[in-house]
Amino acid sequence: MDIKDIKAIYKFLKETDITEFELEGADGKVRIKRGSVAPAREIVEGEAHPQVGAPKGDRQEAAPEKARSENVKIVTSPMVGTFYRSPSPEAPSFVELGSIVKSAQTMCIIEAMKLMNEVESEFNGKVVSILVENGQPVEYGEPLFHIEVSK
Amino acid sequence: MRPKGAVEAEIVRLLKGAGSFVSGEALSKGIGVSRTAVWKHINALKKSGYNIEALTAKGYRIAPPYPFNDIEVASGITTGFVGRKVFFFERTDSTNRRAFELGLKGEGEGTAVIADAQDKGRGRIGRIWESPGNVNLYTSVILRPLIAPREAHELTFVMAIAVAETVAGFSGKRPTVKWPNDILINGKKAAGILLEMDSEPDRVHFVVGGIGVNLNMRKKDFPPAIREIATSLFEETGVEIDRASFARGLYSSMELWYKIYLDKGFQAVLEAWKGWFSSVGSTVRVTSFDRVLEGVCVGVDKDGALLVRTPSGNVERVISGDVDTTG
Repeated sequence: MDIKDIKAIYKFLKETDITEFELEGADGKVRIKRGSVAPAREIVEGEAHPQVGAPKGDRQEAAPEKARSENVKIVTSPMVGTFYRSPSPEAPSFVELGSIVKSAQTMCIIEAMKLMNEVESEFNGKVVSILVENGQPVEYGEPLFHIEVSK
Repeated sequence: MRPKGAVEAEIVRLLKGAGSFVSGEALSKGIGVSRTAVWKHINALKKSGYNIEALTAKGYRIAPPYPFNDIEVASGITTGFVGRKVFFFERTDSTNRRAFELGLKGEGEGTAVIADAQDKGRGRIGRIWESPGNVNLYTSVILRPLIAPREAHELTFVMAIAVAETVAGFSGKRPTVKWPNDILINGKKAAGILLEMDSEPDRVHFVVGGIGVNLNMRKKDFPPAIREIATSLFEETGVEIDRASFARGLYSSMELWYKIYLDKGFQAVLEAWKGWFSSVGSTVRVTSFDRVLEGVCVGVDKDGALLVRTPSGNVERVISGDVDTTG
């Protein structure tokens, strides 16, 4: 068994609902545990307006509700950590409310134990809400930004 | 086809091992290239800063001092993949930045970047890591573990053990680890680690582990602001450390602990990390962004989060922040 086989197994598992897998052979044992699949990003019609960790004051203003349910996507946190809007305290924020962002553009940094993760947008669009304050802790899967997707 | 620089590295290894003249023919046979190729590689080595003497009747002889470069690191490396391919820069902005770019271009697991000097050596949240040339080691390694982003912080502990172990081996001093991954000698910071990750929501593409170790830096050359809280292996031992040897030792240790992490899991790593961690029972102050937490360190939990008992008796769990031991 080599890394190619393991990659093949992983690829196969990705296409299934299997989250844990163990295989024992003559030359060793491989155990793969996959993180739970990230929550769906569409805001489902009728889902509670995401107030958890919602910002106070001016950031609360957002796009009209109608547009929101159809075009607004969520960027969520891939891990537990601390949320930073800029690479250093003096540097400008990666994005502001109203910023136009492209897919793969850095939105923020999440830090856990000196591992820094630049979280990227998966969408082209406009930042219509920033749901977490700079420097605050975030949970796995917690919504961070709403992006109104460009047509 | 051999990787670039592999023949040069092998020539250096054979010449160093011989300690005296080695004939062009012996090198040619030993490495499996023509004598003309040997001659060309010797010339390339001279250009790279090696002091190689050539005598018609006797062959080639190498003499110190040896330069610090990718050939020197490759010469005698024993790892399977970590540091097997090295991108060496005399000077760059940040080895993490270079390694991250290489990672995005698809460079494989274990590929390392080394710089003699960094213009923008970085610590946590944009902090500066002092990176003068000629004295220290600045290196970043690309790892591609099949894990989810929310597990990736575990690599912080893998790196911390590797650096602590290598520092111990080269200095003869027993360093301690300040949570999560600063390496201290006699309570002063000798090495720092910063990891950066590229991922999608459920899969890590790669992690860059960046390490700065103060090896031969003199106390007077540290900026005044950190002169009393930072140190180098030289300051602690009075002995100059060979940077290429240290890099090879670090890559070996990193590979060992990374394999243990992949084979046995994070708990095996965390147990070993605890052996270097010395803050349990100490009074600590944790500064994270806009918040300061004071209390007694009671250890770490199974995720590696720092546990601090506050005066009110609550145990707080810390995921990120600066820890100072105050008593």
